[in-house]
Amino acid sequence: MRYVKEFEVNMRELSQKEKVLFKKLVSATKLVAPLYSKQKNNKYPGADFYPHDANKEEIKEAAKNNPAILDPYTFVERDKSGKLIAVPYHLKFKKELKKISQLLKEAASLSSDKKLKVYLLSRAEALTTDNYDKSNILWLKTENSKIGCIIGPFDRYIDKLFFKKRAYMAWIGILDEKRTKEAKEIEALVLSSKRKYLPGAKKAEIAGVKVRLENTAIFSGLIADFMFVGNNLPSSGDLSLIKKYGTLFTVFNPVLKFRFEKWIFPIFRAIFGKNIQKKYSKKELYRAFVRSVILHEICHSLMRYEDSVTRLQEYFPFFDELYTDILGVKSYGFILLKDAITQKELETLLLVFVCRNLHWLHSVSTHPHLIHYATGGAISLNFLLEGGALKKENGIFRPNLQKLFICLDQLSHILDYYVALGNYNESKEFIKKYGQFNSFKKYFAPKLREIKKT
Amino acid sequence: MSKEKKFYLTTEGLKRIKKEYEIFKKLRLAKTNGGEAPKIWESEDLNPEYLSFQEDLSFLETKIADLENILKNAKLISRPSKRKQNVVDLGATVTAEIDGETDEFTIVGTLEADPSNNKISNESPIGQCLMGKKVGETVVVKIPPKNPIVNHSCKITKIKYNRI
Repeated sequence: MRYVKEFEVNMRELSQKEKVLFKKLVSATKLVAPLYSKQKNNKYPGADFYPHDANKEEIKEAAKNNPAILDPYTFVERDKSGKLIAVPYHLKFKKELKKISQLLKEAASLSSDKKLKVYLLSRAEALTTDNYDKSNILWLKTENSKIGCIIGPFDRYIDKLFFKKRAYMAWIGILDEKRTKEAKEIEALVLSSKRKYLPGAKKAEIAGVKVRLENTAIFSGLIADFMFVGNNLPSSGDLSLIKKYGTLFTVFNPVLKFRFEKWIFPIFRAIFGKNIQKKYSKKELYRAFVRSVILHEICHSLMRYEDSVTRLQEYFPFFDELYTDILGVKSYGFILLKDAITQKELETLLLVFVCRNLHWLHSVSTHPHLIHYATGGAISLNFLLEGGALKKENGIFRPNLQKLFICLDQLSHILDYYVALGNYNESKEFIKKYGQFNSFKKYFAPKLREIKKT
Repeated sequence: MSKEKKFYLTTEGLKRIKKEYEIFKKLRLAKTNGGEAPKIWESEDLNPEYLSFQEDLSFLETKIADLENILKNAKLISRPSKRKQNVVDLGATVTAEIDGETDEFTIVGTLEADPSNNKISNESPIGQCLMGKKVGETVVVKIPPKNPIVNHSCKITKIKYNRI
């Protein structure tokens, strides 16, 4: 089934009743995929959220009289007279959402986990009204629930026109208690210090970040399409909500393993020489990769500004993802000062950072939705090459870890400006100047050619 | 003759180590029933029960020896006199600015270090650099010291000593 991905999961921890509940949620999840199919369209920047013949100016003009046009949960269509109108998701998909909602209610009736039960019932209602705030808050309270469930329209990645419209997605998983505990320790380390903000920046203090690692059973919709290793919700578009209640980020174990085996480790072996390969074991690299994902998600909450999305618009995700990644690396440096990690662990993380960015660049041609990450990767690599942090010698790349950390530190200060204070035009210019893929194509692409794209 | 390592502990930490020591001693006593391995397990051939017993006992003996060493060389962290409370020492809660970030942590001995709960070892890179410094002073922490990957300046903005 398109936009559905199932993973093998061990259900031994679930009781018989929980297994039935789980299956109902899996059924509900599968029904989300067709809704996403009707939103996605790579041919148009606005996907299928807006009429294909409508440009940005026309839509903005129409929204002046009808704000629902730019509501996160509406399709924009033309009525018989050609005028732009807004059609709410819950009306567009009334029949389908009723079925999904019913399955959630049935699952809720089987749950002995009160928080999960209350959340599922609330989400069942939200799907039919497009009012998600209450169920989002209740979802945050399920951070320690054995069964994890997300279902609804959240991320805005496929709306490249305005970065407003939410795309449907769903996932179901079982809590990995051991790895979640480790992640919480890293979170505590990173969040123990308070950052300074640039003068004049409108910072948004987020209530708190919760973390959860899951053995995922199924993805549907946007998440199956993008195959993220982790996801932070509520969305950055729900700023007032996340300021008050914080966010919960979920890391998906099966995707972590897949991404590492398929991409990160092969890229590491293709790019770096034998002496580097001998020094850093596969196990150490995997651990660093998991840590880099966790750090990335934690750091999403560190650089929230009230007006970033308004100022940067469709360029916001370019800066958002790259800056978050680099803040994660920097945070690891701070943790090293406190002896909570070893120097080698930091070194491994730096190497994994390079490999992750190369993965985005290598994959974007077959997965265009990765453009935000790939452009961020290009910016990082251009800075690292310019700063002498990566040098090509006899067909392989020699990293200078000292320069690598310095370059990333310098880049983080530059990105901080754009995210905190930068305007649309200067952000556009920055991306245009530093986000070129030429260096990647010249220096790295030939080395990665043998790694098969999927 | 090499100097024996000192283990710096808070009152609470010392209590915990003593309690742990008593528990492990009781476990050893229970395991051996005051004597050696049950004779029934000893034979010319090595058997799994005997091997398992020996492994458990070996673990307990090592743990007890470690704890005895700690208790023998333990030094209680005490609150310095008021005159010396403007200097970073064990037990100090330090507020510092580290490259644009403000952090607060307490310096403890390595046994009680818990960075995720803001307890930093005096032997950690930042702990070592801060020991003996005063409010207003800046230290530079380099890891590794030569050709550092990480190089952070750290300015002390506050020192306080809470009850330990």
